[in-house]
Amino acid sequence: MVLKIFFPQCCNKADSGLLVGRWIPGQNSAVVLAVIHYPFIPGQVKQYIHQSGVDLTVLGSWSMPKEGQEGMESFLRDLSTIFPQGQWLQLSREMGKIGFRYGKLIQQEKELKEDVEGEEGGGEKDKVIFIHYEQRKVMLSQLHPIDNGVPDPQTESQLPQVFGTVCQSEPLFFLDKYDDGPVKMTHWQSEGREGSIIVELMKQASTPVCLLTTWMLTLWTSLCSSRILNMRPMRFISSKLSTCVQLSYRTEHLQTVCSPTRATAHNHFMRKANIFVSFFVDVSLGLLLVSWMYRENRIGKLANTLVPAADYVAKELEELLQWLMGAPAGLKMNRALDQVLGRFFLYHIHLWISYIHLMSPFVEMILWYVGLSACLGLTFALSLLSDITALLTFHIYCFYVYGARLYCMTVYGLSSLWRLFRGKKWNVLRQRVDSCSYDLDQLFIGTLLFTILLFLLPTTALYYLVFTLLRLVVVMFQGVLHLSVDFINSFPLFAMGLRLFRSYRLAEGVKFRVLCEEPGTPLHLMMDINPLKVSSVVQTYRTPTYSCYPKDSWLALCKKLFLGELIYPWRHKTTKID
Amino acid sequence: MGADSGSGAAPGPAVSWRKVLWERQPFPDNYVDRRFLEELRRNEGLRQYRYWAVVQEAGLVAQQISCVALFLTLWLYMEQGLLSPSTLLWTGLLCALLGYGLYQALAPRGDSDNHHRTRWSDLQSASIFLSFTFGFSPVLRTLTESVCTDTVYAMTALMLLAHLVAFPYAHPSPPGSLSLNAALFASVCLASRLPGDLHTSGGLDSSSSPSSLHTFTMLCWALLVFALWPCLLQRLRDCAPWVFGCVCVLVGVCGVGGLGSLWPGGAVLLAALLGTVTLLCPLLLIRLQSDKDNIQGPWDEAEIREDLTHFLH
Repeated sequence: MVLKIFFPQCCNKADSGLLVGRWIPGQNSAVVLAVIHYPFIPGQVKQYIHQSGVDLTVLGSWSMPKEGQEGMESFLRDLSTIFPQGQWLQLSREMGKIGFRYGKLIQQEKELKEDVEGEEGGGEKDKVIFIHYEQRKVMLSQLHPIDNGVPDPQTESQLPQVFGTVCQSEPLFFLDKYDDGPVKMTHWQSEGREGSIIVELMKQASTPVCLLTTWMLTLWTSLCSSRILNMRPMRFISSKLSTCVQLSYRTEHLQTVCSPTRATAHNHFMRKANIFVSFFVDVSLGLLLVSWMYRENRIGKLANTLVPAADYVAKELEELLQWLMGAPAGLKMNRALDQVLGRFFLYHIHLWISYIHLMSPFVEMILWYVGLSACLGLTFALSLLSDITALLTFHIYCFYVYGARLYCMTVYGLSSLWRLFRGKKWNVLRQRVDSCSYDLDQLFIGTLLFTILLFLLPTTALYYLVFTLLRLVVVMFQGVLHLSVDFINSFPLFAMGLRLFRSYRLAEGVKFRVLCEEPGTPLHLMMDINPLKVSSVVQTYRTPTYSCYPKDSWLALCKKLFLGELIYPWRHKTTKID
Repeated sequence: MGADSGSGAAPGPAVSWRKVLWERQPFPDNYVDRRFLEELRRNEGLRQYRYWAVVQEAGLVAQQISCVALFLTLWLYMEQGLLSPSTLLWTGLLCALLGYGLYQALAPRGDSDNHHRTRWSDLQSASIFLSFTFGFSPVLRTLTESVCTDTVYAMTALMLLAHLVAFPYAHPSPPGSLSLNAALFASVCLASRLPGDLHTSGGLDSSSSPSSLHTFTMLCWALLVFALWPCLLQRLRDCAPWVFGCVCVLVGVCGVGGLGSLWPGGAVLLAALLGTVTLLCPLLLIRLQSDKDNIQGPWDEAEIREDLTHFLH
């Protein structure tokens, strides 16, 4: 079997010393994490390895002789007796040459195998591959798909184990060469620890800020769940208004972000970061919007156009109804029913317009104060717009409900009476149509009603069609708004940023590049991280929302429209359990 | 000896062929002896029809056709304004009372216990009919205003044809759903096409709507002719069969006569149709019986005749 040695790039030019790392069980591979330099005391090294808290073993020895230094071979061989191992690697490199020389010592069999230059074949020679990796990148990156459970070391494949090994050895890399520790090591941070002041300051400041925010949020949630606000009508209204829904949703988000416990798992951390960044972007866009709207009294102008807009809609509706009451599109309607329905709806519009005119002095003030809530974010502004549209087109919704109910009753009655016409009946127990002998008066009245409903069907159907189309237009508009709110809520901005600017942090796999392939020397490969695809980033890190998705498929929707059932095409999937 | 020779090649007359499948016989599988087609039966269920009996039964069909013709005649009279709706209405009510009296008179003996009850329920039904019809008349009269006249006539014709086809000739008393409903639908269509009162329509619109009284009258007559008359007919047939025959003839004559007063050509056609149905078709039926050639045998599908009387004890 081929032996694979993962060698960090930073140690390519390290002085001679001991190799420390980890053997990956069952895979015949070794991950080299650092090189401990001479001089060292073996006892201190063993103690350090024990105390470091990382799964470390001494893998072997590394020799890169400087000019003038020679004859380390036998010394290195003797070291293997001090650190008893199953396998002992002997790696050496000469200045100026790219390739390594490799030797392996197996303690139990006391056999020395050396891969001498130029000698190939003849007996079982272990083939070895050196895979170079950039230690910092591998440490910071996260391999996808993320395994949420505890992985079984026996069955886990090689690559996650390599990544896991490097990630877990983070404490090992805290010692740099300026520290006065018992051992001197070379690893990626040995030149000096990385850090930035801003990050440190933010880390210090985050704890009290989080505590304060959590306290305020608990106040707010206790206020929201108080008795007054939890009465049935208030709850019903607040579940219908999308602003309230968005508010509750944002509260939940903030609670996630501001929880004082640190995020341990990668998923948790990414979720917190995504929520924080999207919230930040949302609020800044909202503030931009507010500053633009309140400059030059644009909000006043908007309020002044609201009432004329409502008037215009009402006038258009009245014209539509007058057209329906005549002979629309040349269709001949039942005159009496037509007049009744038309006058009924006209009266409704008249009531609605009176109500709007009653409210018109207060509209500007209400809009001014309500518009301030857009400071909380662009999503709030959009939800507000959706709610205002719903309120302004409430009469269209009422008309739709009336028309749909009338049509539904007509269709239902017709289907039942058609069965009576043929002498059949619906058997509820068996869910099928059975024959039935009706009485004379049942037959008579049934036929009369059937005739009436049949001839009135075109009229009711036309009214239903017109109002359904209007309602669908409003629903589409609201749907667009909700979809954009949903998009802002759920899009993982932080993960996208990571993918674009630090693509090695989200890894899908690795790719290998051949560094040195000469006959007689072991193969050298360079392991590069393959970043996650953009679509997978979005899919994996999408914040789950009350996703606004169509409740029915197209076919079910058409069937509902045909039968006259009321449709609510957008359904909000709540994450809370009521 | 016979057994020994049976296993030979040629089947001898010593072994007789039996029509069984579970035994290995020396004959080939498709062998049948001279008893081939012995169980064939020809024209087994053949009925011998007597001409006049068939004519009498066919009279019911002719009677129903003439009923429809009578109804159409009434409508034509009202449409052409020759008959006022109030006259027709009172005539109809009178006929209904007469018919009800006759119906009760012909009731079979031994039913005297239910008399009071059925009379009360009859009164209830009658009041329901009248109130509903009267209540819906204003709605019904403008129902087909927007539909083209030709469409209305076509629907009427189709519905009346369906009524004739689906009519339960064997037992008219519980009226068949489809036939009654089709007739009522046709009558509603016709009722909405009656011309209106000269007083009610303002003369401004081209289509004049019938008044409620026209519609009400039409529907009452439809109920009489299509729903109540078959019940009486059934009673007559049960109690006095010879009267039944006379009644059929009378109805036929009235139909032809009524139609003839308005449209002589139609009367001739109707008379020809009635004659064909009553006299010619039975003749054809009997003549063609001699051409019948049905074969039955053991190859027919098994019919399960369920006799559930053995469950009674």
